[in-house]
Amino acid sequence: MTTATTDPIPAEALKLGSGAQKYMLGFLVLGAGALGVAALLVPFEHFIRSYVTGFAFALSLSLGALFFVILQHLTRSGWSVTVRRLAEVMAGAVLPLALLYIPVILGMQALYPWAGEGSGDFSAGKQAWLSPTFVIVRAGICFGTWILLSRFYLRNSTRQDESGDVDLSRRMQKFSPVAMILYAITVTLFSFDLLMSLDPHWFSTIYGVYYFSGALLSFFAFVILMVFFLKRSGRLAHAVTVEHYHDLGKQLFGYIVFWAYIAFSQYMLIWYANIPEETQWYLLRQQGGWEDFGMLLLIGHFLLPFLILLPRGMKRKPGVLAAISFWVLLMHMIDLHWLIAPVGHGGASHAYFGLTEILCVAGLTALFLAAIVFKLSGVSLIPSKDPRLPESLAFTNH
Amino acid sequence: MSTIAMDSSSSDRGADNTIEAPGERAPLVLGKHDYGTVTDTICGIAEKAEVPKAWKIAFVASGMAMAVLFAMIGYLFLEGVGVWGVNKPAGWGFAIVNFVFWVGIGHAGTLISAILFLFRQKWRTSINRFAEAMTIFAVMCAGILPAIHVGSVWVIYWVFPYPNQMAMWPNFRSPLLWDVFAVSTYATVSMLFWYMGMIPDLASLRDRAKGRIQRIAYGLASLGWRGSQRHWHRYEVAYMLLAALAAPLVLSVHSVVSFDFAVSQLPGWHTTIFPPYFVVGAVFSGFAMVLMLLLPVRNWFGMKDFITAKHLDNIAKVILVTGSIVGYAYSIELFIAWYSGNHYEVFAFVNRALGPYAFAYWIMVSCNVLAPQLLWSKKIRSNLKALFMIAVLVNVGMWFERYVIVITSLSRDFLPSSWGTYSPTWVDILTLVGSFGLFLHLFLLFVRYMPMMAMAEVKAVMHDTGLVQPKPANAEKAEIATAGVENPAGALLEFTDPDAMREAAGKVRDAGYENWDAYSPFPVHGLDRKMGIKRTKLPFVVFVGGATGLLAGTLLQYATNAVDYPFVTSGKPLSSIPAWIPVSFELTVLLAAFGAFLGMLAMNGLPRFWHPTFTSKRFARVTNDRFFIGINADDPKFDKKQTVTFLAGLGGTHVELLEGE
Repeated sequence: MTTATTDPIPAEALKLGSGAQKYMLGFLVLGAGALGVAALLVPFEHFIRSYVTGFAFALSLSLGALFFVILQHLTRSGWSVTVRRLAEVMAGAVLPLALLYIPVILGMQALYPWAGEGSGDFSAGKQAWLSPTFVIVRAGICFGTWILLSRFYLRNSTRQDESGDVDLSRRMQKFSPVAMILYAITVTLFSFDLLMSLDPHWFSTIYGVYYFSGALLSFFAFVILMVFFLKRSGRLAHAVTVEHYHDLGKQLFGYIVFWAYIAFSQYMLIWYANIPEETQWYLLRQQGGWEDFGMLLLIGHFLLPFLILLPRGMKRKPGVLAAISFWVLLMHMIDLHWLIAPVGHGGASHAYFGLTEILCVAGLTALFLAAIVFKLSGVSLIPSKDPRLPESLAFTNH
Repeated sequence: MSTIAMDSSSSDRGADNTIEAPGERAPLVLGKHDYGTVTDTICGIAEKAEVPKAWKIAFVASGMAMAVLFAMIGYLFLEGVGVWGVNKPAGWGFAIVNFVFWVGIGHAGTLISAILFLFRQKWRTSINRFAEAMTIFAVMCAGILPAIHVGSVWVIYWVFPYPNQMAMWPNFRSPLLWDVFAVSTYATVSMLFWYMGMIPDLASLRDRAKGRIQRIAYGLASLGWRGSQRHWHRYEVAYMLLAALAAPLVLSVHSVVSFDFAVSQLPGWHTTIFPPYFVVGAVFSGFAMVLMLLLPVRNWFGMKDFITAKHLDNIAKVILVTGSIVGYAYSIELFIAWYSGNHYEVFAFVNRALGPYAFAYWIMVSCNVLAPQLLWSKKIRSNLKALFMIAVLVNVGMWFERYVIVITSLSRDFLPSSWGTYSPTWVDILTLVGSFGLFLHLFLLFVRYMPMMAMAEVKAVMHDTGLVQPKPANAEKAEIATAGVENPAGALLEFTDPDAMREAAGKVRDAGYENWDAYSPFPVHGLDRKMGIKRTKLPFVVFVGGATGLLAGTLLQYATNAVDYPFVTSGKPLSSIPAWIPVSFELTVLLAAFGAFLGMLAMNGLPRFWHPTFTSKRFARVTNDRFFIGINADDPKFDKKQTVTFLAGLGGTHVELLEGE
């Protein structure tokens, strides 16, 4: 069953090494610069809306990673050990994202009708629910939960690197069901607050799952790219093999289909029932050029990656996988833009997408990467003493 | 492998293999089993003349209940749908509640077979066959109910698109027609999956059969399967592809069922989370039904070594997870009803909790959300009686969930003038009872006469996880029995250990033989590479099948609904691409699945009922616990003496020549 080598992995292949500092600073400057240019380029109202796109993008990567980490412990998974550290660090990078939420608070009035004058048409209960104070409190609870959860997993996992204590695995496993429940509640609430309430009259019960599906698929795309670049620089050696690529590719493929399923479910039900208060949301996105974005999503976010990743061989070619992953991340950005942009500042009448959006997404992703490099530079690139590591190293697809 | 004691007699549950230290994997088969005892245990059930008394009682009782079902259907045909409690406004009564309930039950089988397979959950092998069978019987029960609901049941074939003198076509924009395609595709693919998985096990029964009739019946059903490694290779790829097709299929079926409700505008029906929520609820109830049936069957037929504490624990955990997701969906529905600020939405949910059908709502909540929470406790997960009770409660709760959805929403329309009440008649209730009879009766027949556990798969897991210790080779040279064969069709070398055979296969290949094969009771992983078997082209066949289905399905809908019979219904355009997606999808999966199954058979040259290997008496154990390498006489290198000597030195136990024609 085992064909993988049992040679020890060279120590330098499991560290970022001395160049990390440089990369971190580079990403920081790049991120801050991109956001600064974007802020100067366009009026605040436009900038802050694009900022939300970038923010939702970076956050989805981190949240996808957190789900992955919890799930691996919940299911006592063996194959994924060698890529779990990367996910743990991505999840851990939610801390700076909490600080990057502050601009959203500052821009609340420009973004959300309920924060400005538009809140009058709601019932008293909904007014209270969507009052800036309560929304900020909820955001605080959500970020607090994610920070605690991700720290718990990263800390216990890195402690195991030193001690090799099996009990740490038991502990992470034991906490995983509760972590999963907290995760489900917070992600749902936060996606309602951050994105769905951009149009506070509109509602969809599947919305939380929709954001979650995008988070997962972008996480897998991102982690594939991370592995790809780390391996190109000679790191990870045979800790991550073509078999792991294959599995990550299968997961990416699966979540592309899952996203399509959720997106179709939402569209189909609203399109078919044709109730004005719901349909207006899609109607807005089917005119003024936004319909082209919808078409692009159908083809680029689903059909194209689906057909390319369908044959087995494609999932075993790192180059192809990395290219597709990059494309999927682009499409995820378009998806978020299509969710966020059409309601605000003239977006309703004509579609737009340009430099500001790209700068915001790139800027926030660069800051997110800086946090990842920072966290990763102090630790091993894989959980080097995880009791299931041998299983992961020996793993092959039949 | 593990430090856990393998003593299965210690308690009612068997040994506790639910605890596994991180980095170790607890054994999935307990007791002192090898490949042979697995065959003996599972085949023994189908072969034994005696059956447990409890089985007989259940068989008679379910048979009587089934008779009641047919009587009720007959009465319905004579009298019409008026014998049911359906009325205006509650035009969908028990029949639809039961339909959704049974389709839901039918989801566990394919979930266990397909999705757990894709996630490499090895514990599925002890229960998948069983759950697949359950799926098929549940889908049968489900299919009957909407069919007899249409009123004019003798023209039920009108739901299928066929050229007719009325020059009408079915309305493909209607979710009820999507159901026809979804449920029938699901039934067909599930049956293929079930049957394909069973072929090697039916061959085991064939090779052990004492009576002529059994031998012929099992022989025909097993299509001449002989455990060839070249066959196994395509078989495993086909199985994987079927799993990959069945996974989205299983999601689609209950999604389509949810569309029946959710595409409407009725509060409580129209909500976007319905598709995934229905799917999870279906899995939830399906697993509960698996558990409910598994516990007694495990007891009756002495299956504790195979259906171990770990299996039950895992099932209980799946129930807990899916029950909690169902709870999530209930909460989101409630929250959004409030958040929407829509009075009708708010009313629908207040009415559910406090209105005339509040009893159903609270049964649903307590059975579906609260009862499974008990499964957090390890103590309860390891208490068989408690598990059984919770499984029953979940099934009750899930039935009431459908009751709540169908009845409360229909009986409270937008205007109070169209409000009404619904109560079932005695015919409704007896039909429900009868459907359980049909389900259980078929199920009991299955566990009695068919291989109820996937023996080949269990053996493969035992081999892959190192549960069967290799027997030390007792001789340098194999025993040679070649006397009396003048004109051989080939030579056959027997092994007792699959790993020894794998090593030997490499040597046969290196020696330059071309026309040869290895035979085994289960796929021996790593053997393909040793033998130099090229990866099969079967995926391409499946792709072509799927593409054909997609194209044909879309064209069919376009030609019938947009061109030949243009008729606007429910304000949908004639070319309604979103509304065509369900049927196109189902036909894609259907034809791709046919491609996988038939392609596998065709490439393997099956059915083939005669093969030289069958002349060997010893070869009968190839579907049990023996492994063979066979070199055909038409191989250019074949030489009676040399080949036999060569084979004898490969570490096997016995060499023989196969009788030629």
